[in-house]
Amino acid sequence: MTAASLAIAGVGPLYRRRLAVTTRTLSGIVGQIAMPVLWVLVVAPALDTALGGFDPTIDYYTFVAVGQVAFLVPFTAMFSGLNVIVDKDFGITRELVVAPVAHGAITIANALGVLTIALAQVALIVVLATARGADFHTSLAGLGWFVAATSFLTLSIYGVAEVLALRIGRQEAYGPLIPAVGVTPWFLSGALFPITVLPAGIEQLTVLSPWTHTVAVLRHG
Amino acid sequence: MEDLHKTYPGGVEAVRGLWFDVGEGEIFGLLGPNGAGKSTTLGVLTTTVRPTRGHAYVAGHNVRRHPLEVRRSIGVVFQDSVLDNEFTGRENLRLHARLWRMPRHAAEQRIDELLDTMGLADRADHNVRTYSGGMRRRIEIARALLAGPRVIFLDEPTTGLDPAIRDVIWQLIERLRRDEGVTIVLSTHYLEEAEGACDRVAIVDHGLLVAEGRPSDLVDQLGPDLVELRVGADPGRAADALLASGLGSRPPLLRGDLVAMPVRASAEQARARVGMLTSDGLGIRGSTIRRSTLADVFAHLAGAPHHDAEDLSA
Repeated sequence: MTAASLAIAGVGPLYRRRLAVTTRTLSGIVGQIAMPVLWVLVVAPALDTALGGFDPTIDYYTFVAVGQVAFLVPFTAMFSGLNVIVDKDFGITRELVVAPVAHGAITIANALGVLTIALAQVALIVVLATARGADFHTSLAGLGWFVAATSFLTLSIYGVAEVLALRIGRQEAYGPLIPAVGVTPWFLSGALFPITVLPAGIEQLTVLSPWTHTVAVLRHG
Repeated sequence: MEDLHKTYPGGVEAVRGLWFDVGEGEIFGLLGPNGAGKSTTLGVLTTTVRPTRGHAYVAGHNVRRHPLEVRRSIGVVFQDSVLDNEFTGRENLRLHARLWRMPRHAAEQRIDELLDTMGLADRADHNVRTYSGGMRRRIEIARALLAGPRVIFLDEPTTGLDPAIRDVIWQLIERLRRDEGVTIVLSTHYLEEAEGACDRVAIVDHGLLVAEGRPSDLVDQLGPDLVELRVGADPGRAADALLASGLGSRPPLLRGDLVAMPVRASAEQARARVGMLTSDGLGIRGSTIRRSTLADVFAHLAGAPHHDAEDLSA
């Protein structure tokens, strides 16, 4: 067996391990499901009632449903950085790094695990929001762009999360970064309101954020 | 291992030119005080630490050039418990089997066999969080053996375990060598245990090899007997007098109020000289003449003068 095939072979078991770790406990499953359900059934309707009238040409419930995806995916990705620290703290990382797989396989498997969970959450949002009246008029190509943008957002934020988790190495120091890195840019991304209503200057600044463009692809792709 | 060096960022030289060989099927002990370079050496051999200079080969593979082949040939038991706490003992073993690409059927068979050998068959499907320290250690040893490694590395395999469990683990290690024919490289602080279990040992200190050989040979080289004096005041003066007595060639070791020196003279000669020293007004409160041990070799080669008594007995 070549070194390359040994390395690639590790991704499968490590990916299954990551999913199993996340979904093994009831709290793990509830934690992954609670947020999308809360968003679609409670927060989004409330926002629609409070802010929905600002532009009669916009179906604000559908508008904010897409925004939820841009919120949830980075949050999940950043939160998954904690798993890296837990694995390191409890030592299992040491067992994995002496396995006959390339160390990159560990990161790839973790990222694929996070992507799977994020896509499942997004699917739940779409299904629940559609059931509650959101109108995602889209094409097959549009769906492809939507999935691609979701995947890009998940993997890029997870990349940041893993680097930060490995560098920081402590849960108590990493925790505060979850909202700082995973949520703050979301407010200025056009997820909750069109960026055109932002104060002059800030609107231009948001154009520099990849988050804004990802939300645009999610919304219009 | 040939002229191995490892300097960490910041300039700390953990290993400064180590050379040693381990024979196939041997139990080889790596001994040394804290910070001697044992963990770094094991890290290099298990491919988790990249050497700065020199070469190391495991099962014929160069650790730097062919790390995946090395990892495929080894099993590792870490000093701290390294288990996936969300899973059962059996699931921990299964993950290892998948990562080492064992065929499923063969893996299941081997897992059952090892669980039985380790006395864990009835707890295999319980979450490892519910395991005691000894059980965790046994499941880790089972995991290290699962894929049929040629070499097993055990980093402080009995640290933190009670004496009865330590005994069980050492019996297990001896049985592994006998039944499985694997080469075992281990580090330990328990020198009396290393003396009984290891075919050969290497004592490292400050990143350098200070002694290597069979424990009994190292003890003979030091001096088969050891004089220990308990001194009330000024143990330095008693140590000078003991050295001047001509009983041994190595300077005595001072540990608190204890002066210890290996001797080459017969026990009778030693007893007579010690009797004379006791009546010389050196403040000697008591004396013992006993067989030297590997712990004494360690203390004289790596324990003094820069390590305290806690290090030596830990």
